[in-house]
Amino acid sequence: MAAGHNDNAAYEKQKRAVWVATIIMGVVTIAEVAIALNWPESWGRGVLNLLFILMSAVKAVFIVGEFMHLRYEMRAMMISILAPCLFLIWFLIAFMMEGQSWLALREFWN
Amino acid sequence: MAADTHLEKETEQIQDIWNGGTEPMKASYGKLMMWYFILSDAFTFASFLIMYAALRVSSEVWPDPNAVFNSFPFLHGTKLPLGFVTVMTFILILSSVFVVRAVQEGHRMNQKGVLLWMFLGILGGLGFLGCQAWEWNHLIHQGMTFTSNPFGHYTVPEVVDGQTVDVFKGYVNLVHDHETGEFNLPADGKDNKGNVIPENATKHTGTYLFGCLFFFITGFHGFHVTTGVLLNIMIWIQSARGVYQRSGNYEMVEKVGLYWHFVDLVWVFVFLAFYLL
Repeated sequence: MAAGHNDNAAYEKQKRAVWVATIIMGVVTIAEVAIALNWPESWGRGVLNLLFILMSAVKAVFIVGEFMHLRYEMRAMMISILAPCLFLIWFLIAFMMEGQSWLALREFWN
Repeated sequence: MAADTHLEKETEQIQDIWNGGTEPMKASYGKLMMWYFILSDAFTFASFLIMYAALRVSSEVWPDPNAVFNSFPFLHGTKLPLGFVTVMTFILILSSVFVVRAVQEGHRMNQKGVLLWMFLGILGGLGFLGCQAWEWNHLIHQGMTFTSNPFGHYTVPEVVDGQTVDVFKGYVNLVHDHETGEFNLPADGKDNKGNVIPENATKHTGTYLFGCLFFFITGFHGFHVTTGVLLNIMIWIQSARGVYQRSGNYEMVEKVGLYWHFVDLVWVFVFLAFYLL
């Protein structure tokens, strides 16, 4: 009986966690679009882009952590999945630098 | 003697570990492999998005997403920047949530719950695909393809340091003439900000890379959504036939659910790259 009660409490808790995550993601998405449409041009794109990247990261954390349940898995499993993604940071930086070099070449040949 | 038996016991334990059947990650083999497949797929998508970043950085002018994605079905002529894609994002997030609920009901061996939430999840997936089909159709109709891009800009010749150079003045959505295939300045002679385009301005179509990358990356994502919907339908049929009820667990719902959430995760970054940045 006690075990059944605990299961039910855990189930209700998980259910609530998922709906909370949904609401947060919805609010973040609306905020993203609202900011995109109302951002004054004089404030520049730099801060805006950083804001977008951070907000997307929040959404990604909720999807991977709550929806995909990775937050509740074993630590070793989390690391084995998340650690390889660190390679992407250098991948991105390297190719952004590459792109800038292509731009310089285009301008040079024009 | 005592040391020998100790050694034997230890060897036996090690052999037990390597005989299979253990779950060092406390997750079944299938679930773990689904995770590693998702990891590899994440790298594929990351490669495409990083390619997008490199090509975008290398382009001098890139279309403004607020001016490209501003149409809404049945609201012809009204400009709603990012309105439709927000609806699409919500549909996909909700669909993901429905599948989470299906997984949770599966843990409780509640067949009816799984069927209901999975059904809603499938509907969400189909809804998203429908929206994407409309958006693609609309963009292609406007003249955006792999080789052409109507979301251009205009330049005006100005004298800088004694030399005449074409100076970038603003973005303008060119109008595709379907008969001649040409891209013309809008009939009202105004750019995207509502400023009047001067007579001596030169129009430029946007870079074709925009269409290439958009159709390729959202297409690859749409392909994943299609696969996900088909898998969800398979799982729904298996659940309805009571296969998981008989086998005593709904882990297949969980594994396919992981894939479905991954599709949602990718959309977060596609949305970031194409519609926000």
